[in-house]
Amino acid sequence: MSNSIENGECEMTDSNTLPLSCLITDDSSLVRKIARKIFVGLGFEVDEAENGQVALEKCKNHMPDVVLLDWNMPVMDGLEFLKSLRRTEGGRAPAVIFCTTETDVDHVQRALANGANEYLMKPFDAESLIAKLDMVVTRR
Amino acid sequence: MTIQLQEAVNARSVADSALATMQRLEIPPTPANYAIWYEYHAGMSPNLQRTIDVLISNKTAIDESTLLDLYSTFFSSAKEAQTVRETSMLALQTLQDIASVADSARDEAHRFGAKLRGIASKDLGETLDNLKNLIENLVLESKKMAGRTEYVGLRMRESAGKIEALERNLKDAIRDSSLDGLTGVANRKSFDATIRKTAGDAMNSGEDLALLMIDIDHFKRVNDTWGHQTGDIVLCHLARTLQHAVRGGDHVSRYGGEEFAVILPRTDGQAAVNVAENIRQALAREPLHLDLDPPLTPITVSIGAACYEPGDPLAEWVGRTDAALYSAKRAGRDRVQLN
Repeated sequence: MSNSIENGECEMTDSNTLPLSCLITDDSSLVRKIARKIFVGLGFEVDEAENGQVALEKCKNHMPDVVLLDWNMPVMDGLEFLKSLRRTEGGRAPAVIFCTTETDVDHVQRALANGANEYLMKPFDAESLIAKLDMVVTRR
Repeated sequence: MTIQLQEAVNARSVADSALATMQRLEIPPTPANYAIWYEYHAGMSPNLQRTIDVLISNKTAIDESTLLDLYSTFFSSAKEAQTVRETSMLALQTLQDIASVADSARDEAHRFGAKLRGIASKDLGETLDNLKNLIENLVLESKKMAGRTEYVGLRMRESAGKIEALERNLKDAIRDSSLDGLTGVANRKSFDATIRKTAGDAMNSGEDLALLMIDIDHFKRVNDTWGHQTGDIVLCHLARTLQHAVRGGDHVSRYGGEEFAVILPRTDGQAAVNVAENIRQALAREPLHLDLDPPLTPITVSIGAACYEPGDPLAEWVGRTDAALYSAKRAGRDRVQLN
């Protein structure tokens, strides 16, 4: 069995048998809890960050396969994190799914233009998150 | 086939797809909207395509403000000339189609067709203003036509699907997009947008969020006994009562038929029941006085209440509220039931 990620900005990862990893980046502990439950249920290795700066540090230590990313966060917001991540070594690999209540054209367009792979609007549930995940991660 | 002809054929098929999508999404036929959907189907701008796909896949309403944002974001002045040229062609083809269909109809439609052909044969130029005028004229003529077809009884409706779509879009554009026409409270569309917004906020903040579903008891009997006009008065009376009985941040809407919904931010189950009881009692306290024979029986409502569980699908929450409403009905009506 091998795992791969493919889509737009993503590069193919090496074939391996390790579970996929996910970094949930959101200042809401409730959102992190809900998302964690869904990702764990899918067999992901899950880590959490409460803002963009913490997430960036964690990515430098271990680049996750997927980042679920809130927009409005203290210290460093989601868009700033995304820009920094894509400039970081190996930072083009993770599939980034924005997950936010911001639903307007301007936000969606800026997220995509700065390298987001997908965009999930809150509130989300298991079904809508998995649908977006299916767009960026292919499990074989 | 010459290159020009091939290009024309391609542009035509893109134009048809664009029109079909606009009809499906009920988007008003303005020059800016044509430009957006033409480009979307032509695949000239991957960013525009992806942005629209994201909006649609997240069930975001493609309403007037979203369309305005799309236009201002993706149509810089540098690209305008090209877009206008392509859109002009599409508009021209459409006008000619409608004109030829209209030609085959009689009387009023004949004049309509001639007018359209007159517009279509004008030199378009390549400025946005010209295009705007062109389509505004088309819309104006379609609008006049919509009024006339009612009694002239032409085959226009069958033969010109495009005009029918224009009429429908016009009505949609003119009608206030968020209010229920009869009762003046928010409509279903506004309910859908508000429930997503408030649930998204509740998911972020962890604050409570509750929903009430309110259904008039024996409403069919009101309509059958005293007529639909009385039924409408009852609906308006309930809408007014709801607006007075709820609190500042609550959102009252007509969910459909004789069913109303109230979205209650920062409200737990017990507080939601209190608001529902307020509504029920206000209705009993201030009955509707109408001079009818037989006299109108007192209007009562059954109310279901349920709290949002972040992470659950919205449909599941609405379903639980509805289930509470029906258990209130089964328990004898004129009562509140918490899920």
